[in-house]
Amino acid sequence: MFACIHVPNFSNEAHAALLDCAGVFSPRVENTAPGTVVFDLEGLERLFGSYSEIAEKVAAHVRAAGIQAHVAVASNPDAAITAARGFRGVTVLGRGTEEKRLEDLSLDVLSPSPEILETLDRWGIRTIRGFAQLPAVQVSERLGQEGIRLHKLARGAGSRPLVPHQEALRFIEVMELDYEIGAIEPLTFILSRLLDQICSRLRTRNLATHEIHLALGMDARVLHLPVPVCNPKLLTKLLILDLEAHPPGASIHQVKVEAIPAKPRIVQNGLFIPLSPEPEKLELTLARIAAVVGKENVGSPEVLDTYRPDAFRVKKFGVMSAGSSEIAAKRRQNVAQGVSPGAWLLGISSPGRAAEQISRSAAPAGAGPEKITLAQGLHPGLRSGAAPRLNFVHRLTLRRFRPCFEATVQLRNSVPIWIAFHGVHGSVEKASGPWRSSGDWWRPNNWDREEWDIEVLDGGLYRIYYDVHTDRWFAEGVYD
Amino acid sequence: MCFMQSVVLRARLESALGERIASPFTDLDRRVSEIVPTGIAAVDAIAGGLPRGEITEIFGPPSSGRTRVMLSILAEAMAREEVCALADGTDAFDPASGIAAGLDLKRLLWVRCHKLEQVLKATDLLLQGGGFGCVVMDLTDLPLSRLRSIPLACWFRFQRAIEKTPTVLVVMTSESMVKSAAALVLRLEMRGTDWSTLLNAMDMNVEILRFRRKRPSISKFEFRISK
Repeated sequence: MFACIHVPNFSNEAHAALLDCAGVFSPRVENTAPGTVVFDLEGLERLFGSYSEIAEKVAAHVRAAGIQAHVAVASNPDAAITAARGFRGVTVLGRGTEEKRLEDLSLDVLSPSPEILETLDRWGIRTIRGFAQLPAVQVSERLGQEGIRLHKLARGAGSRPLVPHQEALRFIEVMELDYEIGAIEPLTFILSRLLDQICSRLRTRNLATHEIHLALGMDARVLHLPVPVCNPKLLTKLLILDLEAHPPGASIHQVKVEAIPAKPRIVQNGLFIPLSPEPEKLELTLARIAAVVGKENVGSPEVLDTYRPDAFRVKKFGVMSAGSSEIAAKRRQNVAQGVSPGAWLLGISSPGRAAEQISRSAAPAGAGPEKITLAQGLHPGLRSGAAPRLNFVHRLTLRRFRPCFEATVQLRNSVPIWIAFHGVHGSVEKASGPWRSSGDWWRPNNWDREEWDIEVLDGGLYRIYYDVHTDRWFAEGVYD
Repeated sequence: MCFMQSVVLRARLESALGERIASPFTDLDRRVSEIVPTGIAAVDAIAGGLPRGEITEIFGPPSSGRTRVMLSILAEAMAREEVCALADGTDAFDPASGIAAGLDLKRLLWVRCHKLEQVLKATDLLLQGGGFGCVVMDLTDLPLSRLRSIPLACWFRFQRAIEKTPTVLVVMTSESMVKSAAALVLRLEMRGTDWSTLLNAMDMNVEILRFRRKRPSISKFEFRISK
């Protein structure tokens, strides 16, 4: 048997109270529609008496909650709903009497679509009795599946299972403190305890969390995790590291932790998956490194889409899934073509071939290790002076000075001949330039400069530039 | 008498530990670590590459090609789809040069340090965290006086941290620091430059000073870095 509570003029608060009222009597409660709940009465007779008594008790409970509702009991959920919508007060329909009891009700209680209601009205059918007496096959031919469903409801012959309502899970732990806390260390124990409880609750439901909300009195913060985790030690450590980096502004008298549940991460490992850090460990490592060097100094570099020199930003580092990069795709292509992964810089197919290409020159007496000139085999351009092919050579790399060092430069015929900056000074042996660049002229931080590549007497190769705006020289980096 | 006692003691210990440890007094065979390519064909041909689970030291003066070799190593590791980390001692890494060298920057964890202590701490955390194919510790522009103050035990601690892992730890300095904790030591120096109107290229000497696995038949060679 099933009971239905129906509130004709419902509100959201009344609906929540209805669910609570139904929950008092049965654990299997269906949130059917706004203002209507149905619950299972099977096995409740021993607790609350007969079905009539149960219905009276339910009605009394609802009235005590300040809600004007109609209560009906029937052998199936749909009949109970129809009766609750159609009869005022408390109604109990015995098994097998549903059709007879419902026949005088208006068709509106079945909530048919306006089109079907209009059709039935044209046929002169205005009560459930008239509709229930129609042959089912003809109803199906004329009104379709919706007509069949309504016809079953009219006969009180519904047989659908109840869909129990489940409360949204919230994982919150709160601790009120007797004395205010001003330091982070004692907080560690409190957080550890609260997170232990939350994680054990999550584990019992096979859940994890990817977001932790921490409220310390007036101070509130959110910890976002790249993957769902359910490790209280890890979560405690991450929260403590965050608190150490950004301490709360006031002393703490209440600690509230809420975990947003998420499905746990499912990983299928394999023998040939490339090496990468475990996301949980990586998050902790990143937090610890951020505590040492600062959050803005840890991450993955990204070059900005501009011509401005040294334009980049550091974004949060996250482990990529295997096989997602362009380089990986290129590597797979090379492997498919039988080319060694290490060969793409020098254009050779394997290290063995490089060894074959190495030619030995005569070592001077007592010179120790034998000297090998790779140039003879790999870079004919080295001896001939011809420009080497680009795909056969390594490219020069710049090490930047951040910030750039201001330099003192002497010029002759507008060419640098002497330089001094940050411990480096001497004659400029060779210089190449100027290479002019400018940009962002519409912005206050525009740039306009003349770059030079120079070789200083000590053997260092540097990139320097003359800032046109400030009329000063700077050393930008060293080629290494 | 004393010998007999030691034999008896050994037998007792072996029988007591027998269920848990098969041969408690047998030295473990030295683990043969995997070698990964550097991307520089000559180094790969002569030394085979960089040993996993060991420290590789690359040192030399400014403009000796250290950074180019480092980027080549990182590019090779990323081509194997590995995740790499760079503990940058003086915040000198140029992302644009990295892209030009073939780096997949999404796979690079860049730690921008400004002090020696930060580099050491960050490297320690990276190695303890694990999972990185290659960790580079760039100490090149830090003052030599500070670098010389790093105790040798620190390098052995790093070596122990990666000993049984597939991580390659590359230490870049301006003079040799890691000493016997390094399995492979490369010294780089600039041999000359090639200028026309422009700076065209640098010619480098590379010398293998130490290679623990075997004595290389060739220990000194040259290569060119072009602009």
